[in-house]
This record gives sequence, C-alpha cells and structure tokens, in this order.
Amino acid sequence: MMAMDPRDSHRARPGAVPEQGGEHDLDGLLALVARGDEPAFEAVYTRLAGAAYGLIRKVVRDPAQSEEVAQEVLLEVWRTASRFDPAKGSAATWVMTIAHRRAIDRVRSATATAARDQRAAEPLPASDEVAEAVEASLDRERVRHCLGGLTELQRESITLAYYGGYSYPQVAALLGATLSSIKTRIRDGLIRMRDCLGVSG
Amino acid sequence: MKPLRHDLHLLSGVYVLDAIDSDTERDRFERHLGRCQSCSSEVRGLREVTTGLAMAAALQPPAAMHGRVLAAVRRTRQLPPAADTQPRHRLWPRWWPQERSRWLPRLALAAATAGVVAALVLGVILAGTQHRLGFAQAQNGAIARVLAAPDARVLTKSTSAGGTATVIVSPSERELIVTTAGLRPLPASKVYEAWLINPRRTRPAGLLPSPRGGKTQPLLATELMAGDELGLTVEPAGGTAKPTTTPILVIPLRA
Repeated sequence: MMAMDPRDSHRARPGAVPEQGGEHDLDGLLALVARGDEPAFEAVYTRLAGAAYGLIRKVVRDPAQSEEVAQEVLLEVWRTASRFDPAKGSAATWVMTIAHRRAIDRVRSATATAARDQRAAEPLPASDEVAEAVEASLDRERVRHCLGGLTELQRESITLAYYGGYSYPQVAALLGATLSSIKTRIRDGLIRMRDCLGVSG
Repeated sequence: MKPLRHDLHLLSGVYVLDAIDSDTERDRFERHLGRCQSCSSEVRGLREVTTGLAMAAALQPPAAMHGRVLAAVRRTRQLPPAADTQPRHRLWPRWWPQERSRWLPRLALAAATAGVVAALVLGVILAGTQHRLGFAQAQNGAIARVLAAPDARVLTKSTSAGGTATVIVSPSERELIVTTAGLRPLPASKVYEAWLINPRRTRPAGLLPSPRGGKTQPLLATELMAGDELGLTVEPAGGTAKPTTTPILVIPLRA
C-alpha cells in the first residue's frame, strides 16, 4: 500500500512560508509572460516551481520522471501564458491544474506503469528537500487544518485521487466503496475544505 | 445508462481532481458545465481548493531544473492569444486550462518560415542523410526537437483515400510530426483531422493545414501516450472532438 497519509504533505515547518504578494501579482506576471517577458517568467518560476514539482513528485514519485514532467509543465506555462484567463481562476490554480493533468497523464500511460509500481519502494523526500519558501496564498497550515476537519473517508478519497493520481473507480476499488459514494465523498470533502479555506467559488 | 442531471452534478469533485478516467463521462460532464452556471462556479471554487493541496506538497525542485527550463523557454515560441473563432464543439479548449492535447500547428507553427525549415529538414531526414539540425533548432525548437531526437523514427503509410502520410515520431520527446502528400483535396466544408488514437483516451491532434502543391505543412503533436496510434479522418470544417468517420489511415507509433 502506498504511503498516502495526508500528513506527508505537510512536512514543511510551520511559518516557513512567507507570502510573496497576492494572486494579483501572479496574474500580472503571467500577462507579462504572455508577451515574452523572460524575467517575469523567472519570477513565476520562483513562486510556483516548488509547488508544481512537489505536486508532480506526489503523483509520479520517481524523481527523474517528476523533474521531466515539471519541466514540461513550466515550459507549457511559458508557451500558453496567453491563454490564461484570470476570470476563470487564479494563476496558481491554472499552473497547478496543468501540473496535475500532466502528472496524471504520465502515470496513466502504460510506459509509466512499471515506474509507478515501484512507487512504494521510493523513499519519501528528506525534510530538507521541503521548500522553505513557496508561493502560498493558501498556506500549508490552513490546508493541514482543513484536511484535518474532514472525515477519515473523505480525506482518504481525496488524497488517493489527488496525490495518488488514482481515478475515482480505482479509489472506490481501493477503499471497497461504491462509485457513487466515492463521488459524493470527494465532492462533500472538497466543499467542506473550500468553506474552511474561505475560497470564493 | 445515462446518468441523471443530479448525478452529473456530483462529478464536480472527481472532475477537479482529474479522477475521471472515462472520456465519455468527462465529456458529458464538460458539456453539462457549459450549460450549468452553478456547476461551473462550483468547479472553479473546488479547483482553488486543489491548489491549496498542491501548495501544501511543495518541494525544492532540483537546482539544475531552473537552468534547463529557462534554456527551453529561450528556444520555444509562445502561442498567440486564443482566437475567438475556435469551434465551439471542441471540448478541451472550452474549459480551463485549455487544450489537453496541445496542438502547436493550428496556433503557432503555421509560421511560414518554420514550415519551410521543417520541410527542408524533413527532406534531409527522408533522404536518409544524417545531418546536424542545429540551424533548425534556432528556427523552430519544437519541430527540431523531434527531428533531432536520437530515437526519432520515420513511418510512411498510404491512406485508404489515396496519398501518403509520413510521420516522424520520437517516443522520448513524446511528440511527432505529420506531413502528407497527394491527399485528395477536400471541399471547404470538410477537413482532414489527425487523432492520437488510444484505447484509454483518443485525443484530437489537430487539423491538417490546406495542402500546397499537394503537400501539407508539418503538424506537430505533443504528449504522446504509450499505445497511441496516429489516425486521420475526414471531418466537418473546424474539426470535431471525437472522430465521426472511419479513419482513412491508422499508423501504430511504437513497436
């Protein structure tokens, strides 16, 4: 069984996550990136590469493959920055959505099957690898706190799907639950987290 | 077994976690999103939650990644803003972030210089000549990357409707380039659409540009998955999200 303890995702020292400006700045940076501004891209990199890489590591596990996927994602951000629409969500969300989809594509393609099967054997990252400064408008402590407010089953379903990269039928199989109960559980859990985090819809 | 509207609505959670593996189910939900204001606003909110989960997983990336990404950025052309004329029925571009299967050619690679360079390079490759492709890299990083990949292979096959398609595929880059010669010209109401056909997920891979002198400019497809086959169908102008006709060509991409 894979290590899916949600606590894994909160290994950073509390308070080690300084805010580096709000989402608006990132949105503005992406607009500059869309116009080919390389320094703006570097600033986006500084703020989001850690989260993108960490998320991809969660899903893909293999460090070399994760780095490859992370590079693809960041290049994608550069290439498609003109398609970012702040009306549809925050810049961080846009980037993390790309990152997650790419990671999922990687683990669900058959070539990655073998690597994925090795995941259990892969050691967890050492704590000094944990980013000390990441963009975190929703900071770790709040996320940890809000995850803690879910039922065990909600938390397990969400972490298996999001960090584990499993499809919801796979989550259902792993947890011995019905498809509809997994759907409901995940949605209810995310709604509860949304309310806890104070995210506007 | 069409789910009720109510059941569709319940998919918002698994949707934002990218946990829907069935194309049919995801497409159906995305169509629903297009009609259901409260659903799309719920999806927007729940996506922000997933960003919190991502942020909580942040790690220090490998130090060398920074330089590699910036080097790649310097040789990669950016996409222009999305055109308003994008066909409405294309599913992936509609929701956000757009374009799950990314197709440079429709958007950026139409640049004539890139096409000319690629065609020249293609000629070199097809002639079987080993040739350094550095010059092409400067012109077009993406196409050059495929052409220069050590594992790039050239596959050629006739279509059932006449003409041939030539594919250069690099499994390591997970990209391929398609060109065609001698395809039957189509009326303006039709277009040749390329697909990455896969039992897990068939993705639209872009529309072939109108042929010039019987040949089409190179089309670049990214994000190949294991087991993909390249397919070509004739579709209504503007393309479709799913193949609606029998492919005139299917080329398996990997041994």
